[in-house]
Amino acid sequence: MAPASCALCQNAKAILKRPKTGQQICKECFFYVFETEVHHTILEAQLFKPGDKVAIGASGGKDSTVLAYVMKTLNDRYKYGLELFLLSIDEGITGYRDDSLETVKRNQQQYDMPLKILSYDELYGWTMDAIVSRIGKKNNCTFCGVFRRQALDRGASTLNVDHIVTGHNADDIAETVLMNIMRGDIARLGRCTVICTQGEDTIKRSKPFKYAYEKEIVMYAYFKKLDYFSTECIYSPDAYRGHARAFLKDLEAARPSAIIDIIHSGEAFEVKEEIKATQKAQQTCMRCGYMSSNELCKACTLLEGLERGMANSVITDRARRKMDELRPAPDILRTIPQYRSPLPAVSVEVAPQS
Amino acid sequence: MSSCGNPDSSEADALMPRRLKYGRSRDCVRCREKPGNIVIRHAVYCRDCFSPLVTLKFRKALQPSINASAGTSKRPRLKADGNLLMAFSGGLGSSLLLDIVHRIYFSNESVLNENEEPVGGKNHPRNADVWPSATVCYVEVCNAFPGMRDSTEELRTVVSQYPCFEYVATRIEDAFDRSWWLRVGGLPSFSQLSVDIGNPTSCDLSIISALFTPAERSPTDCLLAYLSSLPTQTAISTAIQTFIRILTLYTARSRGASHLLLGTSLTSLSISLISSISQGGGYTTREELQEEWTQSGIGSTEIAPTIRIVRPLRDVTMKECAAYARWNNITVVGKQRVPATTQGIHSLTKDFIVGLEKDYPSTVSTIARTCAKLAPKDAPKGSCLLCQRPMQHDIQEWKNRISIRSFGEAKLASDLHTPPNPHNNMPPPPLSSQSIDQTLSLTPHLCYSCHTTLTSRSSRGLKSTGSLPVPLPVWVSPPLLDSARVVNPDEDRGEVFQNRQPMRDAIAEYLLES
Ligand code: SF4
Ligand SMILES: [Zn+2]
Ligand SMILES: [Zn+2]
Ligand SMILES: [Zn+2]
Ligand SMILES: [Zn+2]
Repeated sequence: MAPASCALCQNAKAILKRPKTGQQICKECFFYVFETEVHHTILEAQLFKPGDKVAIGASGGKDSTVLAYVMKTLNDRYKYGLELFLLSIDEGITGYRDDSLETVKRNQQQYDMPLKILSYDELYGWTMDAIVSRIGKKNNCTFCGVFRRQALDRGASTLNVDHIVTGHNADDIAETVLMNIMRGDIARLGRCTVICTQGEDTIKRSKPFKYAYEKEIVMYAYFKKLDYFSTECIYSPDAYRGHARAFLKDLEAARPSAIIDIIHSGEAFEVKEEIKATQKAQQTCMRCGYMSSNELCKACTLLEGLERGMANSVITDRARRKMDELRPAPDILRTIPQYRSPLPAVSVEVAPQS
Repeated sequence: MSSCGNPDSSEADALMPRRLKYGRSRDCVRCREKPGNIVIRHAVYCRDCFSPLVTLKFRKALQPSINASAGTSKRPRLKADGNLLMAFSGGLGSSLLLDIVHRIYFSNESVLNENEEPVGGKNHPRNADVWPSATVCYVEVCNAFPGMRDSTEELRTVVSQYPCFEYVATRIEDAFDRSWWLRVGGLPSFSQLSVDIGNPTSCDLSIISALFTPAERSPTDCLLAYLSSLPTQTAISTAIQTFIRILTLYTARSRGASHLLLGTSLTSLSISLISSISQGGGYTTREELQEEWTQSGIGSTEIAPTIRIVRPLRDVTMKECAAYARWNNITVVGKQRVPATTQGIHSLTKDFIVGLEKDYPSTVSTIARTCAKLAPKDAPKGSCLLCQRPMQHDIQEWKNRISIRSFGEAKLASDLHTPPNPHNNMPPPPLSSQSIDQTLSLTPHLCYSCHTTLTSRSSRGLKSTGSLPVPLPVWVSPPLLDSARVVNPDEDRGEVFQNRQPMRDAIAEYLLES
């Protein structure tokens, strides 16, 4: 077959098939549509306003490396007027995070953005290595996820930024939609396709790559010659998510639009009003001041479990209640430093009259 | 931010419930006497206690939707507004459906108590006529695929076991048959509408209209032309399902039915839900569970009656259906597996869910329960001409924003103040080489899923069919022509990718050889 010309500019020779649309296009057009779609996403959701300070959650992996590059490009091209920072969390996983942080440090120099690294060790007094040696490899991602979420907010508050952007891509979001349906997590299902969340947290958090295919992110890195760190975590994620991911890959192979189609589905429905009403209101953690739907935030609960050697049991609600009955003991435990929100004390999203 | 492969680890993972051990005792939990024969979600039942459990679930799922309005009585007399139509495929679920409906609602032998009064009172469904008549409808699909046999007569024999059920067989090619359309009461239309599906770069579906000619193609030819123009296996199986659904609905309407019952089990229901969501059908998740259909968009003045589509087996798993059929001697002829769709999304979903159910038995009910808590976000714009389900606003706008397919799109030009031109002299967007009626397009009349079905391509490079006009199903033309009169157009572990080979490998299938 003769080399086709680019389906977009009809001019240059097509050198790639676009994973998202199947169109055969040239390299320049690929860069252009990839960046412009992210730009559309940002405009449509009105994510930023001039003067915003934005932290890019950077792990050294492909998503955040490309995100940092594209954010810088779009900020220059379209004059968003943003002040950009890199924010990295060091979970304390030997042979994984320590190496990937080197990539982040290189990005800091290439892009000339200030970098803040915050470690689980300094914040919680526990590295993931230490946690895994205590609890084994079963619930490690639960700990890691809760700790990371809070660490990001705390890092952002030291940088004094208004907004955190993360590299979650379309594949991640589609997978999460499927996961939440399959495990009946209606609360998360309602919000996992929302591009920008604020309210349950104190700091705005958004996903500019919400509609960007993982394969296109790799392709972008490849043609732009960006390097990133590609190791999988040595404490890899749970089997159930693995099933969901393999299934999504099959769907994508059958019809590449499946990823975007699932996100479209997720955006088209919402949780019925009568069910929303039964969901819990937010309050602040009595121990560390972080947002929480219970007296104690998840991080404080998990940390207390670790400190008291009951870590594996606090995963379930019932065990958590049991542990609560055994209280009080917190004054002898290590706790998380008080959280100070960078935002004004009154926030509309916080449950009133509490 | 995670390169950890745990994308949403920022939200702590709730863990999945694993397979649990059987109950402590091996005796039936209901009668506590006989040894158990089947385990249903951790509880053991004996044969005798199991069947009433299934019929109870069946009635609980069906009966609240029998009467047109809920009324005030706690146990109202069951009385439907019209007749009953049951969709029958010969498969497990619909074979059960026929048998249970017959047993509960049509087996006229009232059981009398010692006072010669019917047991269960005169409102018991067995003792009252809930529906005046019942029809069983089968849609034969053999002409769509080579090598399938015609099961019409075999299924007629099965249905003849139930003398009070009338058997009606339709054929999948009826979707293109004008005489069938007139028979079920459709409005006549004088032109043959075709659509241009073959254009690989555009997602617009222009309509080509022509008057009927004596040399009109046969319905089967039209069906085959339609199916072969579809871009994926997924699209083929979805098209077949949509056709079966619409053919059955119009048959139900022509029989004066108020209810259409489907034999969908809990397992098939959760498969359909995930499959539909994976094809962009999230907006109609509610319809996937329970639906009220009113024939849409036809200029007739009389108000069309509403048909309720109910799945009375929606709380009974496939495994329970199989046990019920075995212990109640129900004939299950079995459905032929439709060839040429095994790599489609529906088949993949089926394999996935059935596999998952083995390790995580509560998955199927969790999926159905979760989806029942969802509602569409905005009010519908009307209904889709192809599948006749509710349709959202601004579908094309969304699609164009998310995936740029051409530089000529208005959205692009208006959004970008300084559009950086990737090449300096960009030619104007190409004009269509076909002389077609540009003002009439099917696109704005399609829901997200149907539009995706017709336009979304596989990466495996299915042949581009060129632009052959593809005939449209009979129910699409009248409302489309009607609208034209009123509406204006409008990886390796542990390396930094210094070496670009692994990156290249990861995207290799998308790089074109030069
Ligand atoms: S895989 Fe789990 S433990 Fe490893 S970084 Fe991700 S969330 Fe943390
Ligand atoms: Zn080009
Ligand atoms: Zn706390
Ligand atoms: Zn029993
Ligand atoms: Zn449709």
